[in-house]
Amino acid sequence: MPQVAVPPPYRGPTAGLETIEVEGSTVEACLKAVGERFPGFGEQIFDAQGRVHRFVNLFVNGEEIDRKDLGHAVAAGDRVEILAAIAGG
Amino acid sequence: MSGPTGDRMIRVDMTHQTAEIVDFPDEWKLLGGRALSAKILLKECDPSCDPLGPDNVLVMAPGVVSGTAAPTSGRISIGGKSPLTGGIKEANAGGEPGQHLMRLGYRAIIVKGQPRDPDKRYALNVTADGAEVVEADQYKGHWNYALIDELSKVYTKAASFISIGPAGEQRLTGASVACTDQEKDRHPARHAARGGLGAVMGAKGLKYVAIEPGKARLREPAERKLFMALCKEYTKAYRAGPQMFKTGTSSVVPVANMLNTFPYKNRTEGQSPDVATLDGARIIESFEERGGGMHNCMTGCIVQCSNVVHDKDGNYKTSALEFETLTLLGSNCAIQSWEDVADLDRLCDEIGLDTIETGAAIAILMDSGGMEWGDAEGAKKLMNEIPEGTELGQAIGNGAVAIGKRQKHARVPVVKGQAVPAWDPRPLKATGLTYLTSPMGADHTAGLIVNPGMPEEDWVQASQEVQLVNAACDSSGFCQFLQVSLDDIRKFYGLLYGEEISREQVADMGWQCLQDEWEFNKRAGFTAADDVMPKCLEEDEIGPAKVKWDVDPALTAKMYTRFAPREELFTMKASG
Repeated sequence: MPQVAVPPPYRGPTAGLETIEVEGSTVEACLKAVGERFPGFGEQIFDAQGRVHRFVNLFVNGEEIDRKDLGHAVAAGDRVEILAAIAGG
Repeated sequence: MSGPTGDRMIRVDMTHQTAEIVDFPDEWKLLGGRALSAKILLKECDPSCDPLGPDNVLVMAPGVVSGTAAPTSGRISIGGKSPLTGGIKEANAGGEPGQHLMRLGYRAIIVKGQPRDPDKRYALNVTADGAEVVEADQYKGHWNYALIDELSKVYTKAASFISIGPAGEQRLTGASVACTDQEKDRHPARHAARGGLGAVMGAKGLKYVAIEPGKARLREPAERKLFMALCKEYTKAYRAGPQMFKTGTSSVVPVANMLNTFPYKNRTEGQSPDVATLDGARIIESFEERGGGMHNCMTGCIVQCSNVVHDKDGNYKTSALEFETLTLLGSNCAIQSWEDVADLDRLCDEIGLDTIETGAAIAILMDSGGMEWGDAEGAKKLMNEIPEGTELGQAIGNGAVAIGKRQKHARVPVVKGQAVPAWDPRPLKATGLTYLTSPMGADHTAGLIVNPGMPEEDWVQASQEVQLVNAACDSSGFCQFLQVSLDDIRKFYGLLYGEEISREQVADMGWQCLQDEWEFNKRAGFTAADDVMPKCLEEDEIGPAKVKWDVDPALTAKMYTRFAPREELFTMKASG
């Protein structure tokens, strides 16, 4: 199954869990699967129109993807990573 | 080969207005910035002294790798006993002075004494040949930008400056120390802001320090080829990565709001209805029509997190309009527009004030009914009262505790007398532990942890580790936004001096810095009873989860016993 790596600032809804295995064949499906399991997570990623927030950066296996490319395919063992700049300042 | 040798310090006696160049002790070569300042203060400053009296010691110390080709490494620490907290203080700034001092081989400026006539003003001129105290009465009362304009007519185009505005001259406990950036106009926009060290500089009669770098070159590492290769490799890796700060900290506003740590109306709420108009994205959008843009505040910086902000007519307004300022002078005061916050930021930089402390103070005035919420024009008028010396202006310039006392107001969010930053301890409990136990008081740059889901059993160790790493970073000269690790610092130090430096040595240096600072505070009279949150944060709930500060006090005592180092300590990034 693919994994979703949750950055520290977003671990409130996941009760501190860093890596979550989910069913999903696209980035969007994986992120929504986490959101279904952990209420509150989805709102941290998606705005009211279902778009990824501007301040969220998405990576698949270490390569950054366009946050509009939610249909990006993922396979078993792939790692979807969320990054956010949190500091300041 | 041994790396840089023959380093010196400048000892300044402001009672007699003399400056002396002395050798820098070789055994201190791996000490710089914050750790060096702590060492000097513990050795030479009586912790029970009056912070605004002659016995306080003001230290200006660049970092260990400042002045070299290492990327983003020119930070400078300003240190002393804080008139705001009554404890040790280190405030860190960017700009050019750190780079220039180290290229000239000056590891620290140590200022003692006090002129007999409190109305006199002096300056310190620093060159490759030495240092001299000169009279500077003609600049008395100058606001920082006007001061730099005048000094630009007297000094070379290459000179950099460290200065205070009227707030420091009036010895107000919210006063900052300004450093000029590397722009042609040399904006005094990089502030060592927290803890009132501008007042200490003012109490010593020192209006400014001018550093003429002359023909001084980059510092020569012992292993030059390897050092340069490391710089190149580090820069390449950084640029290939996400470069999280390329749009500046102001872009953090919506995330902080989402996490209920965008304080509104004196921290009575954790989210602001004005998040869209205070979002740093609006600043970025303004660049297209008005000019300005992102830039680096010091030569050699690869992060470029600083913004240059223009007004509607395309003229320069301010620089380094940061997340904390947008929060404390914006949301916390219910001021809606980033443009008004930009005006207030400029006023703080001119008068020489900490934007966090000033924003907290204005919000307390509003909360106590002394001013309308969101009155941006009123806030600007109030700021102008500070250099005029009105009683209300002085109270604001003295910060949150002072205005709270004046207004007899109970909601005064401070720790050890210093205003709590934007990052709220109620949803960010581990950060709250940093605020309670850091020698600096409530200071997010001492060790920020943004991990709302972190289990309670991890909080103390996480806070201790980030405090240690940040202390090491603030001693190195590297900017926290480069996000160096202890392993990174170790590599650069090792090649700078041609020595094998162990992981434990670097970690020990960070821990020793904290120990020196805690010891200073102990001698200044601090006890465990001072490691407390203000009542308002223990009682006021925020956010949908209705969180308040309810952490077991027993946890704070555990901070002072060192945890056994684990792998994460050496690889985690500085965070502030």
